[in-house]
Amino acid sequence: MPTDIKLRAEIRRYDPAVDAQPRYETYEVAGQDNWRVLDVIRSIYEHQAGDLAYQFACRVGRCGTCGVKVNGVPVLACQERCKPEMRIEPLTPFPVLRDLVVDRSEVEARYEQHALAPQRATAYAGGPEAIEPQLAEALCHMNSCLACMVCVSGCPAVAERAFDGPAFILKLRHMAKHPADTGTRLAQAVDAGMLECFGCDLCTQLCPADLSPAQAIREFRREIILGGSATHD
Amino acid sequence: MTNVALPRNTTRQAEAMLYGGVARRLHQVSGVVIIVFVLVHVIVQAVWHVPMFASAKAAAPWLQALQEQNWVHAILFFCIAFHTFYGLKLFAGELGYSFHYKTAFWAIVGVSALFGLREVLRYAGI
Repeated sequence: MPTDIKLRAEIRRYDPAVDAQPRYETYEVAGQDNWRVLDVIRSIYEHQAGDLAYQFACRVGRCGTCGVKVNGVPVLACQERCKPEMRIEPLTPFPVLRDLVVDRSEVEARYEQHALAPQRATAYAGGPEAIEPQLAEALCHMNSCLACMVCVSGCPAVAERAFDGPAFILKLRHMAKHPADTGTRLAQAVDAGMLECFGCDLCTQLCPADLSPAQAIREFRREIILGGSATHD
Repeated sequence: MTNVALPRNTTRQAEAMLYGGVARRLHQVSGVVIIVFVLVHVIVQAVWHVPMFASAKAAAPWLQALQEQNWVHAILFFCIAFHTFYGLKLFAGELGYSFHYKTAFWAIVGVSALFGLREVLRYAGI
């Protein structure tokens, strides 16, 4: 049975149109110990700060829109269990539109730039294409990336170096493994800063979809060192 | 890799240890410790063995005592072992071998701690 608890949430508030500097506002919330972080944010919005900007859609960890930092760790707000003391901030390093909402236009531009659809040698003939079941399963799993940017926000290489982030490399690896794709995905991954990755696996630990962008990076790097083709993994 | 099962259990990521972050920081710190040790070791050897530095040797009698502290050796051996094994793990990753981040972290810390412990026991005569 859930227990009633008192929660204290410190939220980073910032409206670039009005505020010169971001500020932290503290809210006391009467909640239950099985609440998610999103429940706390919604409660604050409904009862204490009607002007709080935040984002969510599915509430079941599938849409990837509610990513925030809780006590410095990027999480999906709808999945992360609430804590008695929380500091809630927008995902870094993205520009803040307002409060907990970040501007994803650069993210969308990067996805578009990488042309993440199979680049075919011949025109698509229509209809399903034969594909090995094991590879199909791997591709389906890789395709379950939510694009929530939790891995990008947690990646130390993104913070310190010219690296687009693990999520983009994962999508490039997905395309590289696709049997119909003839694109130069390895070169794209290198251009996206893949070689800057520290190999720390933080992205794997943080990924809400249980994916391993770090493994995708390792597979690309093995290709650089030992050669080989993605579709033969 | 396994398929995602819905609904997922709630996560407690903000409370968990971030293994990759800790491992990376330890790798950096252990590297610095090794570099500092090598530099200090060269200077100390010079002070001890080069007649020109005899006055410096006389002025720093604590150098000998410091050199014989078991915790200094334990930290040094832990750092050397951790830096080596974590570096090898990263190199293996470049060749396509992957280890679960949590298992790898505790295995490397555990083995490195054994090297440090060995120094403590050696000084204790065990």
